[in-house]
Amino acid sequence: MDPLEPIQLQVLAVILFTIGLATVLTRRNLFFVLMGVELMLNAANLSFLSWSRTFPGAAGLEGQIAPIFSIAVAAAEACVGLAMLLSVFRSRESLDTDAFDGMKE
Amino acid sequence: MITQVYFWIFSLVAMLTALGVLLSRHPIHAALCLIGTMVSLAGIYSLIASPFVATLQILVYAGAIIMLLVFVIMVLNSAKDEHTPRWDLTASIAVVPAIAVGAFLLMVIEKANVLQPFGLGPADAPAARGTVEALSKILFPDKLGAWSFLFLVVGLLLLSAIVGAVLLAKRHLDTPPETTTSHHGGH
Repeated sequence: MDPLEPIQLQVLAVILFTIGLATVLTRRNLFFVLMGVELMLNAANLSFLSWSRTFPGAAGLEGQIAPIFSIAVAAAEACVGLAMLLSVFRSRESLDTDAFDGMKE
Repeated sequence: MITQVYFWIFSLVAMLTALGVLLSRHPIHAALCLIGTMVSLAGIYSLIASPFVATLQILVYAGAIIMLLVFVIMVLNSAKDEHTPRWDLTASIAVVPAIAVGAFLLMVIEKANVLQPFGLGPADAPAARGTVEALSKILFPDKLGAWSFLFLVVGLLLLSAIVGAVLLAKRHLDTPPETTTSHHGGH
């Protein structure tokens, strides 16, 4: 018998997602915002893999394909996001998200 | 039983390091905490019969993405802002919707009635379920399907991400790169 219940993995994924979301919403530094996004992506991957173990046979294995693409997209996102962070720091000399309010007026 | 022990160790490390990302003061500490989260999540992935994704997690996340992040943090070392408070009234208010979303997700999971593992008998749950061979048969079947096409699209996406990153991060595209002239004999 499989000792690991699926609900444990799902609850862990929810906790990690919530911490990531709290990081994105509360921290003002752009680095922390990016890291919170990474945490949320990881929680989604964990949820995918946990569901893939719940469903039987080859249908469940497709749940292990989706995290591969998710990881690739996360790599692209980090690459472009960090480049945007560099260029935005050059123009504003700040990483505080409160400094980027140019669309207000 | 041993699976439970490993799961609790990994999940405790993952949650504590994720909290470290939320609460740490300097970005480099948060990045190092994030490595702990990634590695312990890779351990959990290998516990739930997906060794290939666990390997990818360590290679791509802990190896490449966080390394890139640490690199940029070190380049912008002067970027740490002491004038912005970590916690103020706005931040405390912003925690509330995050917790609300978490509670909503917990409710959804509780309502979902497929949480019992069905069709996965004791003989069907070996660790060899998510091997490279099993996954490659889905990614690249004899008659190429949607996943194979998506694989090519991901290659295109990564290429455009590289080009976009170079375009964004370079100061002036039309000027030649600053050549560091060698000062041989310049004493």
